[in-house]
Amino acid sequence: MSVETAPAARDRRRFGRNIVIALPYAWLLLFFLLPFAFVLKISLAEADIAIPPYTALLNWVDDATVTIQLTFSKYQFLLDDRLYFAAYLNSLKIAAITTLLCLLIGFPIALFIVSRPPHARFFWLAIVMLPFWTSMLLRVYAWVGILQSNGLLNTLLLDLGLIQQPLVLLHTDLAVYIGIVYSYLPFMVLPLYAVLEKLDAALLEASADLGARPAVSFFTITLPLALPGVLAGCLLVFVPATGEFVIPALLGAPDTLMIGRVLWDEFFSNRDWPMASAVAIVMLVILVAPVMLIRARGNKKPEVA
Amino acid sequence: MTSAPETRPAGSAAGGAQAAPFVRIEGITKRFGATVAVDKIDLDIQRSELFCLLGGSGSGKSTLLRMLAGFEEPSEGRILIDGQDMTGVPPYERPVNMMFQSYALFPHMSVADNVAYGLRRGGVSRAETRQRVADMLDMVKMGAFAQRKPHQLSGGQRQRVALARSLVKQPKLLLLDEPLGALDKKLREETQFELMKIQSQLGTTFIVVTHDQDEAMTLASRMGVMSDGRLVQVGGPRDLYEFPANRLVAQFIGAVNLFDGVVIEDEPGHARMRCDEAGCVIHVSHGITGTLGQTVHLAIRPEKINLSHDRPDAEENVAPGTIDEVAYLGNLSVYQVRLDTGRVIHVTLPNLDRHEGAIFEAGDAIHCSWGAASAVVLPA
Repeated sequence: MSVETAPAARDRRRFGRNIVIALPYAWLLLFFLLPFAFVLKISLAEADIAIPPYTALLNWVDDATVTIQLTFSKYQFLLDDRLYFAAYLNSLKIAAITTLLCLLIGFPIALFIVSRPPHARFFWLAIVMLPFWTSMLLRVYAWVGILQSNGLLNTLLLDLGLIQQPLVLLHTDLAVYIGIVYSYLPFMVLPLYAVLEKLDAALLEASADLGARPAVSFFTITLPLALPGVLAGCLLVFVPATGEFVIPALLGAPDTLMIGRVLWDEFFSNRDWPMASAVAIVMLVILVAPVMLIRARGNKKPEVA
Repeated sequence: MTSAPETRPAGSAAGGAQAAPFVRIEGITKRFGATVAVDKIDLDIQRSELFCLLGGSGSGKSTLLRMLAGFEEPSEGRILIDGQDMTGVPPYERPVNMMFQSYALFPHMSVADNVAYGLRRGGVSRAETRQRVADMLDMVKMGAFAQRKPHQLSGGQRQRVALARSLVKQPKLLLLDEPLGALDKKLREETQFELMKIQSQLGTTFIVVTHDQDEAMTLASRMGVMSDGRLVQVGGPRDLYEFPANRLVAQFIGAVNLFDGVVIEDEPGHARMRCDEAGCVIHVSHGITGTLGQTVHLAIRPEKINLSHDRPDAEENVAPGTIDEVAYLGNLSVYQVRLDTGRVIHVTLPNLDRHEGAIFEAGDAIHCSWGAASAVVLPA
């Protein structure tokens, strides 16, 4: 009897498992792939004075035939106009530098938290995550208050007599770097903490026992074993930092060229939805390509092992 | 309070007590907050000795080992290795290598890179490193696995790599923390002898920490029993087994039947104790420095008791009883005997004859007897 029910039970189990797997796929389809398709479609249209403000993809001719109207003119324009290229490049540069800064600041923080006794680690992690409890917009505005010419930092430096005139900090590239590093640092610290916490302390002891000074142990043992966390943290910082719009808008100079702002201008100022969509699609390709490369490398690894 | 009953003179086990000790542990204490992990330990270890620290978990043996390696600084006292004071010397500057209980192999490096790691830190030339790594891997029979990663090895293979890695720098002193703990019984027994062979081949001083008394007895030329942070007794395996200093050592090493007895006669040549638990008088063929009427512990090992159906021709060292259960272990059988006093003891007898069934069976009324040199008198 149990033999007869076994396949049924297995089918039921398989069905349950398929449901569980289907959920994230459905989520991705609904909230990622579908919007992406829309944006892709819009990017292949022309701007139009209409509602919505772009030409339709499909047109009915004589109520009988359908013509498909595609235009790559926006992509052509992206290539021709140096502004977009410069904006992409500048975004990638700012994202790369902030990612590096986050790594350099985040690694010691993660090492410090891991070095605490286990019951104290939660406290320090909570400190790292505390800023998330307030809105990001408010936190960035707080930096305006700190960095402006009569702000906290300048007042402090003037009172200490370290400077004679207020420094111009706000609306500079420096302010943008400060803002992005500050905002994205937790995304670097958390994955680093996750890998370092799993690192067996005996490995570092073994390294010291075999004659390695602490700095040598760091580069030969800690860093290579923390690499997955370093990669994850860098992606988590780099990807959103590239498309960052709020921070350069609030802290940056008017001429701080970042692709997020260009996109905003195309969309809201020029009302050129197809152009904005094309900018978004290209940015996505630029960001997704390296992620795919890293993933492909990550997938290959167990095969070699 | 009795002083320790007959034990061997302390010097005889140490062998070269006159030579300067290779490792000298002087009044070492280690406190973690309020807990004392290691409590005022003094210990000398000679060059080329294979010394075992034996103790249960929490006895402080691993902490003592970690202080020798330099991972912990002692709260008090000092450690000298080859005459050099190790106080404040970091692990990476000590002439000591350690084999970790978890092996602590670097997971991202091949077997060869793991073994070469120490040499690369020590400024050994590339060619020499390659040669020494190859030699060491051959010695532990892992030459064919040089390019594997640790996770591609079995537990026994990892153990060999860990041993090779800790030996390749030719340390003056090798510390081994439960080196065979993760291996199954058969592999452990094989490896024990291999470890001893390697030790005598290289002449390195080994200090092995273990909780396994069989392992300690097999490996050690000398061993120390630790309990509650203190070194309870130091001696050769035979000293500790036959002449335990106290109840704790007697119980920790090997199986033992323990009785309470009252001294009723104490002469230089012999002593007699009345033992109500055994229901007889226990006679030992040596004097004890005690007083009449004093309570002492009497320890008799299971293999030192004989069984017979007929009552032996003696008044003392004989206790009547019934066999409760018999456990056949192949080489010997363990008999659980309920004495007429109600006390249950264990007796082991070798199985000498293949064809003969159990000589004694459950339910048999028997007599337990032992010689005058069998019982150990321990201070209460």
